[in-house]
Amino acid sequence: MKTNIQIAETIAAYANATESSWIAEQKVLTGKALALAFIKAPRFISKALIEVGDFKGWTLDQVVRIDLLTQLDEANVDLLFETAEMQEAVALTRSLSYLNNPENFLLRATDAVRSNMGPVFDAIAFGNTYPKDYFSEAAWNQLVLKCIFNDKAIHQIIGLDERANQELANTLSDFAHERWSAGRRVPSQVWRLVPKFMNESLHADIEKLAQSENPRDVLAASLVKQEVQNPGSTQGLWHELEKPEPIYSA
Amino acid sequence: MCQEHKNLGNPSHFEGTEQEKTTAHAVDGSFAQYTQGMKFFDPHVHMTSRTTDDYQALADAGVVALIEPAFWLGQPRTGLASFKDYFASLVGWERFRSSQFGIKHYCTIGLNSREANHEALAEQVMEILPLFLQKEGVVGVGEIGFDDQTAAEEKYYRAQLELAKEMNLPVQVHTPHRDKKKGTERSMAIALEHGIAPNMVIIDHNNEETVKSVLDQGFYAAFTIYPFTKMGNERMVEIVKQYGPERIMVNSAADWGISDPLAIPKTAALMKIKEIPDEHIRLVTYQNALDAFAQSGQIQESDFINGLEIDQTQKFNGNTVLRGGQAPRVNKDSLIIR
Repeated sequence: MKTNIQIAETIAAYANATESSWIAEQKVLTGKALALAFIKAPRFISKALIEVGDFKGWTLDQVVRIDLLTQLDEANVDLLFETAEMQEAVALTRSLSYLNNPENFLLRATDAVRSNMGPVFDAIAFGNTYPKDYFSEAAWNQLVLKCIFNDKAIHQIIGLDERANQELANTLSDFAHERWSAGRRVPSQVWRLVPKFMNESLHADIEKLAQSENPRDVLAASLVKQEVQNPGSTQGLWHELEKPEPIYSA
Repeated sequence: MCQEHKNLGNPSHFEGTEQEKTTAHAVDGSFAQYTQGMKFFDPHVHMTSRTTDDYQALADAGVVALIEPAFWLGQPRTGLASFKDYFASLVGWERFRSSQFGIKHYCTIGLNSREANHEALAEQVMEILPLFLQKEGVVGVGEIGFDDQTAAEEKYYRAQLELAKEMNLPVQVHTPHRDKKKGTERSMAIALEHGIAPNMVIIDHNNEETVKSVLDQGFYAAFTIYPFTKMGNERMVEIVKQYGPERIMVNSAADWGISDPLAIPKTAALMKIKEIPDEHIRLVTYQNALDAFAQSGQIQESDFINGLEIDQTQKFNGNTVLRGGQAPRVNKDSLIIR
């Protein structure tokens, strides 16, 4: 469980007096009444954008929802997952690391990876420490590959370098071959996942990449080669390629 | 909702001139030229039963927001989990699917009249309704009311009126196909008996026989433009001519039956051709529905009028990714599929 003093600090900094007293009234509740407070929160709490700290980019109602969830029993957390509307699903997914016994919610997290609702997928994939801390290698690889498949920028995944592995690098190579056969590309920055795991097939991929007409691919190939020769030397240099690429809009 | 496709012809009580009819028939297929620049709000459409082609057509025709009432699925559900998943899909997947086409999706949640007759299950459904009714974007209790006008239907209609009152939500009332006039009067009388303000109640599926009483008592009167079993849009034009635009709204109630999701834009075009003032068209195809359901506190016109605001979490990559990164809008005239 991730303890975070910043939940309380953020709420204190952003909630007005009316909001604070509503929150105080809800926090004495338990069970279904507390679950209903989670549901009703946006009727009482603004969507003020949090500008600093751990919750930067979140809205106040989301932080309040997580505050309520940290006190809610597991059966009711499950009920909320099963009945969630889209913004609730986002808040629930973002909250996973803050819940008691986060490991009990692994299936909820991998379901979020399976979600076809963009905001729900993004809530588990980006800026969330849960996958890094609790996903098996297979689940982690599925997350990263789905990002790549959906043309989303992978650098927003927390733990990308730390959890890189041989299996992921090999699968990425297979996936790139499929895309190339179909006359499509893979986003250039994904090759940052391979330098530690080079083999014959990956060497060939990087050589092919270096011959690309796309300058982003050429840059990616040179960064991979540099990293292989001198590990750690390309840190920060991938920044140029950390953008979404409209693969399908050819 | 309208499973009885008896083609009874068009029992119109009103007739346009021969000239108007000729014009209306001449513009089939190109009605959009009459609705340029108009925006529409469909307060009753069952998108779960429709394809993405319909979403694209709705967006192209100027529909910017819609309400999907909870209803039955053509056959009765056998367990609570089916209801729970259905309600969750109305606030989850369907909402997202709609957003991909730039259409703001709201819903009303309720136990429909048909399934109210399975009392054991109905009791369980009543237990979970409060979980859904207070969610963001849930703009009312609906569609509820009478079908066969049984005692069980009345019991759960009353119970849900109490929920609506408690949560200060508008009520979307389905009126029966059979014995409609009596069923409509009874629905209104019961709502008043429960102390619900008539302006918080939208009486749906009106016709020439019910409209006067509904408006006279201060309720909103919705008209469903649906082939064969409900209103035709020529009759609708005559109603607006006769009663004016106040508290009247048009919907498609498109579902898994033979229905037309473009009923509102088509009716607007017909109104334009038949020289209904633009402001009256705007009221009955957009503003009145918005005003009625905005009483829930869950609708902000600014959320959709200039296109959907892209969620913070979607911003970095646009909001167009569905599956495999595909763009949801495709050129359907293209032979080549990429």
